[in-house]
Order: sequence, then structure tokens, then C-alpha cells
Amino acid sequence: MERRVVVTAASAITPIGHAKDELIHSLINGKSGVKKIRGDDLLTDRVESQVFGTVGYPIDFSFKRKYRKTMGPVAFYACQVVKEALESAGLAQEFISSGRLGVAFGSTHGSPTVQRQIYEHFFSGSEEKFSAIGAVDYLKSMVHTTAVNITKMFEITGRVISSSTACTTSSQSIGYGYEAIKYGMQDAMVCGGADEYDTTTVAVFDNLLACSTEYNQTPHLTPRPFDTKRDGLVVGEGAGAVLLEEYEFAKKRGANILGEVIGFWCGNNGGDLILPNMDGIKETIVQGLKNAGIGPEDVDFVSAHATATKMGDVAESMAIAKVYGKGPCVTGLKGYMGHTMGSCGVIETIITLYMMEKGFMAPTLNLEEVDPRCDTIRHTGRLRETPIKIASIQNFAFGGVNTSLFLKKV
Amino acid sequence: MTRDEIKKNILQIFETEFEIVNPGLDDNLTEEHDFDSIDALELLGEIEKMLDSELTRQEKKDAMEIRTVNQICDYVVSLAEKRTLI
Repeated sequence: MERRVVVTAASAITPIGHAKDELIHSLINGKSGVKKIRGDDLLTDRVESQVFGTVGYPIDFSFKRKYRKTMGPVAFYACQVVKEALESAGLAQEFISSGRLGVAFGSTHGSPTVQRQIYEHFFSGSEEKFSAIGAVDYLKSMVHTTAVNITKMFEITGRVISSSTACTTSSQSIGYGYEAIKYGMQDAMVCGGADEYDTTTVAVFDNLLACSTEYNQTPHLTPRPFDTKRDGLVVGEGAGAVLLEEYEFAKKRGANILGEVIGFWCGNNGGDLILPNMDGIKETIVQGLKNAGIGPEDVDFVSAHATATKMGDVAESMAIAKVYGKGPCVTGLKGYMGHTMGSCGVIETIITLYMMEKGFMAPTLNLEEVDPRCDTIRHTGRLRETPIKIASIQNFAFGGVNTSLFLKKV
Repeated sequence: MTRDEIKKNILQIFETEFEIVNPGLDDNLTEEHDFDSIDALELLGEIEKMLDSELTRQEKKDAMEIRTVNQICDYVVSLAEKRTLI
């Protein structure tokens, strides 16, 4: 038996805002969250890219020590957005701890800040290098640190899924959460992803010549998805959580339904681990549509992965054109905040839900002149006040992983 | 290093590292102050710093049955005696 799955709460920490109103304000006013990179003693002087999608505002983490003690920065983000989502949903603690609610949450690689501290001990030359590693360092840094800190803080006893597939981490979280409810394994899932401020990731992409470097003095002008003057991605930080519930359960308890998840697909390019692959992307969209039981003509809006790399945006445009033609409006939301890595899928899902609710489509920020090779699709070149009935969120990751999610207004 | 000094140090560690202020000396730390296995491991690290000496694996295992501040003080006294610090 297949069951309907709806989104009943959401929360995001992003470079362009935290609260829903702030995010919408930034989208409508074309506000960028990309700033000059913060200096560190390790990498920032050596990388060419000097921009970062930065959460540049204070967040009041009022967590007790018994929770804080196993949390690195990434888990603080994760627990905060989940806390806000669960508070907004108003679920009873009895249900949260019943085993019927699970967690699907991940990050690119746990907490690099804590991992860096561990390695500093190892390479310090100090006699204390082994004993200096704290008992909780592993709990703070491990790849599933977000998911299990969430289970601890909210006493969640259901299943735990912790994807760690870089840029598809949180779109997988939502997709696998959706499937867990759809096929009756869980009645609700809190899903999402987070990544903390990390210059290691900048260095990795910088070395691959994939980072933006031409806008170091004007950070707000990069990244530039689909634009002729795009010069690469901008690494960012952030977190997002959505609560998914089985439709009848949500309706019965009077939950506020933000949208329905109607389809999901995840596939792999089956080859190169770095280069984008038009056929792999196209197949993921096609299978996602099939999973959702809709045709390409039903989709009004596509949130493209669109990292603003030279090749990635072209491959994605070609794949979208092959499936949709010039049908749906396409926006690359990373223009606003850079690439928030493990959290990009859920943040882009939440923003799409907000746009669905308010009836607008944000344009791709910094898209001034469409690259002719990306001009085969219908770009959202300006703010459009128009309803979105069905939207798709696309994300692709190193390792050749591709995902497509489909949302419907209820 | 006297037992009183050890007690004072331990209570200071509880306040600064574990945010547990003035626990009763015979309180069950797990039941009354949420002091868990992770805290116990962290405390052993703090004791090593206090004694300026690494604990052996057996000494660490011996600590796992400890439940109260008084028992912690007795444990540290025995470690200090072995190291001729008392």
C-alpha cells in the first residue's frame, strides 16, 4: 500500500536569513548572502576563492550542556532547525518518542572543525597527542553526528537514516524519509541536512578549478548560475529541516500542510565521479516524474542544482530541455547564497515551499546574460507573481549521485 | 595533596566542566544530575590532568562503578597514594 506524504513544518538557517519572512524578503529583494571568506590559520590565505555563503547573524542556541557536549557546530545547526520544525508542528512528545517518527538527516562529513582539532593534536608533536583527544570528539565529528544528536535531544526512537553524499545529502534525506512513510515503515520523518563553515571544502573545489575567483572584491555578484560570466561555485553553510507526515495522520490532527511530496528519484551516472553527466541527470528527472505519476507538462517550476560551474550548468540545462523543453520556469537558488553543500537540497525545498505558499517565483540572482548553451530552457529572469502547483527540486553530487524531488501544492 | 584539596578540585571540575554546582557528596550523579558515561570519560581526563599522570586501562575500568562525589574522592586519593602524591 502506498500512502500520501505531506510536509507539515519547515525551518532553515541560510546565508540569506533564518526566519521565513527574512528568507522571503531576501528572495523578493534580490539580497545575496555571499560574503568575503573569514580568515583562518590554515587555508584561506592559500585558496584563490575568497568568497563564502555565510550565515552572518547570531543564533540563540539555548541547548543544555547534556546536549551540547556531543555537538560540533554542524550539530548545533541541525538541532536548531529540527527544534524549530518540531515546535512549529506541535507534535506530542508521546508521538515523537513512539517509534513512529524517524530521522533522516546528514551532513557532508560530520564536523570538520572538530576533525581539524583532532588532527592538530596528532600532528602537534606533543606527548599528549593521543590523550588530548576528548571522549566526545568522535561523537561530535562522525558523519552521522547530526542525526543522532537530533535523536538524543528530542528522544526520537524511530529509524535513523544518515545520508552523507555531499550535495545530495539532504535531498536524499527527504527522499528516503518520503519513502519510509509512503511504504508504511514510519508515520512521520524529520528530514534535512546541515553543513558548518568549512574552508576545507573551499580548498577542495578550488583545487579542482571549480570555485568562483573573479568576484573576490564583489562577493554579492557571485555565484552566477547560467550566466555567461559565471566562473564557478561559492561554498556556503546552512541547515534545513522539514517534517514529513503521512497525509491522513496529518489531516486528522489538524496539521498545517505546506505541500505534498509526490515523487522522488535517486540515480547515479555510473561512471565519472566528478564530471556532470547530462544523461544521468535526464534519467533522474524522467524517473522522478514517473515516480510522481505526472508528465513534464504538469511541472510549473524547477529549482535547478545550478552551482554556476562552466560545465555543470550546461549539462543541467540540456537535461532539463530534453525532458521539459521550455515549459517550467527554472531558477538556480544558489545565486542567493552559494552552495550550502549537504543542506542545499532541503534549503531549496523549503524555499520552494515558501514560494508555493506565497505564489511567486524568485529569479536566478546574478543571471544577467544567459549563456547561449543554457538558453534552451525557460529561465526565471525576473520576479514572477504566479502560482506554483507542482515543483521539482534537482540536486547532483560528487560521486555522480543525482536526485529529483517533486512537490505539489495541497 | 590532601583529600580536602582533591574534593575542592573535583567540585570545581563539576562546576566548570559539567555545569553541576555543589552536588551532594553522596548524590547518585547519574540519577540526580544527568551525569552519564560520556561525562565519566571526560572526568577521567580531568583527573589525569589533576594528577599530571596518565591512568592505566585497569584504573579507568575501576572507575566505572563510581556513582558519587565521595566515591570519586576516594578513587582519586587511592590514585594519588599510588603515585606517592599524598
